[in-house]
Amino acid sequence: MKIGGYELTLEKRVTLTGWEAAAISILAIVFALALFGIIFVQAGVNPLTGYNEIFSYAFANQFGLPLTINRFIFLLLCTYAFIIPYRAGLWNIGMSGQLYAGALSAFAVLVAFGAKESRNVELSPGVVIPLMMVAAAAGGAATGAIAGFLKGRFDTNEIVVTMMVNFITFWLVSHMIKEGGPFMNPGGRGESFELPTSVYAPLIADIPFTIFVALGLAVLLYFMFAKTKIGYQIKAYGLSPPAARYAGISLFKMPLMVFIMGGLIAGLAGYHMFAAVPGVYKIARNYGYFGDLSFYGIICGLIAQGNPLAAIPIALLFGGLSSGGRFVQGKLQIGFGVDLALMGVLMITLVAFQFFFRHRIVLASAEKEELDAGVLR
Amino acid sequence: MRLQSIKHGDPALAVRGITKRFPGVVANDQIDFEIRAGEIHAILGENGAGKTTLMNILFGLYQPDEGEIYIGGEKVNFRSPLDAINLGIGMVHQNRKLVPAHTVIENIILGHPRAGKILNLKRTEEEIREVSDKYGFRIDLRAKVWQLSEGEKQAVEILKALYRGAEVLILDEPTSALAPPETERLLASIEAMARDELAIVPFITHKLPLVLAISDRVTVLRHGKVTARLETESATEASLAQNMVGREVIFRMERTRVEKGEPVLQVENLSALGEKGYQVLKGISFAVCEGEIFGIAGVSGNGQQELAEVLAGLRKAEAGNVTLDGQDITYHSSLERWQMGIGYIPSERNDVGSIGELSLVENVTMNYHFDGDFSRRGIVDYRRIRRLTEELIAEYGVATPGPDIPAKSLSGGNLQRLILARVISRKPRLVIANLPTQGLDVGAIEFVRNKLLEAKKEKAAILLISGDIDEALSLSDWVAPIYEGEFMDIIPGEAAKREDVGAMMAGLKLKAGQQ
Amino acid sequence: MREFFARSLDASTIFTIAALSELIGQRSGILNVGVEGVMLFGATLGFIAAQTTGSYLAGFLVGMAIGALIGLLHGFFSITLGGDQVVNGMGIWILGFGLTTYIGNPYTGPLGMERIPAIAGLSPFFFVGIALIVVTWFVLSKTSLGLRIRSVGENPSVAEVSGINVARTRYLSVITSGALMGLAGAIYSLDYNPVWNYNFLMGWGFIALALVFFSMWNPVILLAGALLFGTLWQLALNPQLVLPGVLSRYIWRTVPFVITVGVLLLMSTKWFRTRWGAAKPEALGLPYVKE
Repeated sequence: MKIGGYELTLEKRVTLTGWEAAAISILAIVFALALFGIIFVQAGVNPLTGYNEIFSYAFANQFGLPLTINRFIFLLLCTYAFIIPYRAGLWNIGMSGQLYAGALSAFAVLVAFGAKESRNVELSPGVVIPLMMVAAAAGGAATGAIAGFLKGRFDTNEIVVTMMVNFITFWLVSHMIKEGGPFMNPGGRGESFELPTSVYAPLIADIPFTIFVALGLAVLLYFMFAKTKIGYQIKAYGLSPPAARYAGISLFKMPLMVFIMGGLIAGLAGYHMFAAVPGVYKIARNYGYFGDLSFYGIICGLIAQGNPLAAIPIALLFGGLSSGGRFVQGKLQIGFGVDLALMGVLMITLVAFQFFFRHRIVLASAEKEELDAGVLR
Repeated sequence: MRLQSIKHGDPALAVRGITKRFPGVVANDQIDFEIRAGEIHAILGENGAGKTTLMNILFGLYQPDEGEIYIGGEKVNFRSPLDAINLGIGMVHQNRKLVPAHTVIENIILGHPRAGKILNLKRTEEEIREVSDKYGFRIDLRAKVWQLSEGEKQAVEILKALYRGAEVLILDEPTSALAPPETERLLASIEAMARDELAIVPFITHKLPLVLAISDRVTVLRHGKVTARLETESATEASLAQNMVGREVIFRMERTRVEKGEPVLQVENLSALGEKGYQVLKGISFAVCEGEIFGIAGVSGNGQQELAEVLAGLRKAEAGNVTLDGQDITYHSSLERWQMGIGYIPSERNDVGSIGELSLVENVTMNYHFDGDFSRRGIVDYRRIRRLTEELIAEYGVATPGPDIPAKSLSGGNLQRLILARVISRKPRLVIANLPTQGLDVGAIEFVRNKLLEAKKEKAAILLISGDIDEALSLSDWVAPIYEGEFMDIIPGEAAKREDVGAMMAGLKLKAGQQ
Repeated sequence: MREFFARSLDASTIFTIAALSELIGQRSGILNVGVEGVMLFGATLGFIAAQTTGSYLAGFLVGMAIGALIGLLHGFFSITLGGDQVVNGMGIWILGFGLTTYIGNPYTGPLGMERIPAIAGLSPFFFVGIALIVVTWFVLSKTSLGLRIRSVGENPSVAEVSGINVARTRYLSVITSGALMGLAGAIYSLDYNPVWNYNFLMGWGFIALALVFFSMWNPVILLAGALLFGTLWQLALNPQLVLPGVLSRYIWRTVPFVITVGVLLLMSTKWFRTRWGAAKPEALGLPYVKE
């Protein structure tokens, strides 16, 4: 294609540097946000006003910012739950089910300590909170292990399995918190009993300590992939299972391990959202909304190209878009689901931009092309 | 548009001044070539000489940068293989272009303009059978292609081209996957087709005797140019080789005599199943000692790949046992085998032997991530592996700007050098080299063979699997031709005769040689 | 009881058409894991169109049209751009899920139109589904077009060399596939359960995907599987027919999903695996790049 005196061609990439990948990813996000502006227009809102509202609420508002951070923590954990199997070439779309299982397990611990009775039950946070976290991690890990085991042992399609498990756990939660279920709130209301105040997660500047868990995981995962044997094995398996097998890596253990690790982290996300975020502290009626939100972890993981550190700013952005989006939904009368719609547009834009990870646009002066044609480069 | 009726001897296909350039190389440089109806005209050249490019141009897959193509004396322009097919050019590819899951008939009529909306399989079957009988092909037309032998699959491809009306047949390495009796049948069919005024162009690499046996004329390519046009009658193996390679080629390697040591590998009654559930190894027994090269010679598909995999721990043995230095390893995992001193050079260097997207350092890590010196307490010492990689690159002559580039940017020869380096540097007790020189240029082939001989001098036991009978004969202390999962014999290297080994590779049972 | 079986068949109709559509795409080598997304588009936009115009025909046409469009989109990403088909399918799913939640929200609630008249107690689409199965079976096994589609799915480079336009064949297949998925979605929201609700498709798209694998790409087995699942689903909604009062209704809702996992497990046994491996279109999910 010629433009002016230049020739535009598409060329397959040989290498992709981190900077190039980052640039493409940023471009994708910007493009998606621009595209999403159409939804604003359709709702009768000026897109610039809309985004202004979103970002100022998300990052500059005293109520919005903590909400953003809480969602950021949640999303970062869900992203890691996706990233670990993703590096192994596997798709974990079961983070919603894994986080439900994590939440249920954490609340089961509370029941064991007799917390169902009332919010004022005195429990020792130093004992119960770690136990809740361990339970949540275990519950998520076990849920993830289903898909991981089936994949490793039988090569069953993990996409379908994780999705099915998502629905199974979804209904399990309903069973537990509604209509006479074991975790039901004494007042009915279709939600779980409330977390006793004594075991509210400790806050630092209004932010639950789980932020350190999330950021700590960031460093841990980065280190794991860069330096450890396990990280190497995951990468090798993800790029070429036959070559990995030749290198002595177990084709059974790998899927199982990465799904346990991913599920574990998603379970912690469940603990965070339902037991650590101020203002929630229970498995709410609309728990399904958070399950759906967890799928943002997929998009975040794909944009970050599986890099745990790159996921941090992206999860933060998404946290902001999510909290700002909910706010704007109310304020500008846009309609329920606008943040999910944004998720959809982001995802499809990202999918389209995958093309640029494999190809690049080359701009060359048209005259130079003619000169090159007759000469060996 | 069809070829006009051509009398015997008229040019069926001619190319003039064909030139094709790729970044950094001129693959075809002013090639002139002409084949007459009823002629068998071989095109000979090494890997990289430009044969594949020329072939793809003739078949319409590539467009030449310069030059013209003439069919039946008229200038033509192919924009796609479809144009070539419609003008009467048929191509029979080396890696079969067939759909294994479909039947022979379905494969032959695929894309045929006369197939019609609703398939009339009966009539098509009759028509195909007519052609098949005419040229002496014997195939079950209703069979699914995956069930056929290599020779039969090739026949299907030829029939497909003929059914489509080909009058010029281009054959890509026609005998590379065939056993000698199948080769005989193919030659007979080719001669029958030539008598029927078809023009046949086989493209061949190292099979010089074949060229002499089958062709009327030979055109030799080297570095993209035509270096010789010979009447086959007046050519010899040596003259052909010289034109192909440009220097005196030594056909036999010096076999080094090394003091024989203790048995390292002992295999007893080994049996295994293949992909489709059939038995591909039927009770194999043999031993390899220190300082010995045991060569398994066979046409691909006779079980040697599965044998390599079983010995490497990548495939389950159904029966029998495998012993390494006296220890039974039949049920050991591949990881355990590597740690015990087996080194495996796989035949599939791109899919199994390396990971393209990872750097050279990370590829070397494939054989070192479990090594206690390089990977301690779960942490991989990449710095140390990097140094090792740099040493290996230097020692094994891997042409690369550095150890951090992705493995996929290495050429085949260099990748094989790296794989060899990483396996042999661990000083394994047993080296299993599965088709180690396949697809490499002459320089790389010589290098690989020398490295194996070096390892032999270092008292390693070497199991060599080769599809090249000359390679097996010139390197091995013991030669075992394999056919349909069995060793036809185990013969001492010096005593092995080429004709005998070739016949055994094709299934002929001869008098038992020395065991 | 009769009502139960009628509803089972109605449910299985939707599974049939959705799974069949994915089968067509997969036979040509294109994997679309975002069936759920396409169905959501068809269901939501079809619902909106029908309610706004008062015409069922409009609803179904819009549903099919949007399905075809999304199929085209998936085709563009997978065929022309040659991207990872699983990523693309995930994108379609999340796009569908996200956008339809937002677009459909104002229409939450019943369709409010007279139900489509039944034929012999069954939804008329049941017969459409059967007809589609027969037509698909015939086209795939007995016609030139079918051979082309199958070849493109087994070995596209062979097909290309035989003179077939691989891209065009795949596009045709994937657009048809999308249209049928949209139809299946529209049937769900207009005929089977004419009430719009956030996330009302309940994973049926993924079950349809599992059904395709289970059927080993054979339309007849697919029909059997769909019938089984339709029945199972109805059972899960009406446990009182089998085991009254045993478990909470929520636990019963998990049954179809548990069974699906069980089916997948069954498929990994040796008997199944060898047949499955042989029946699988060899080029499924692999991008084809012309030389």
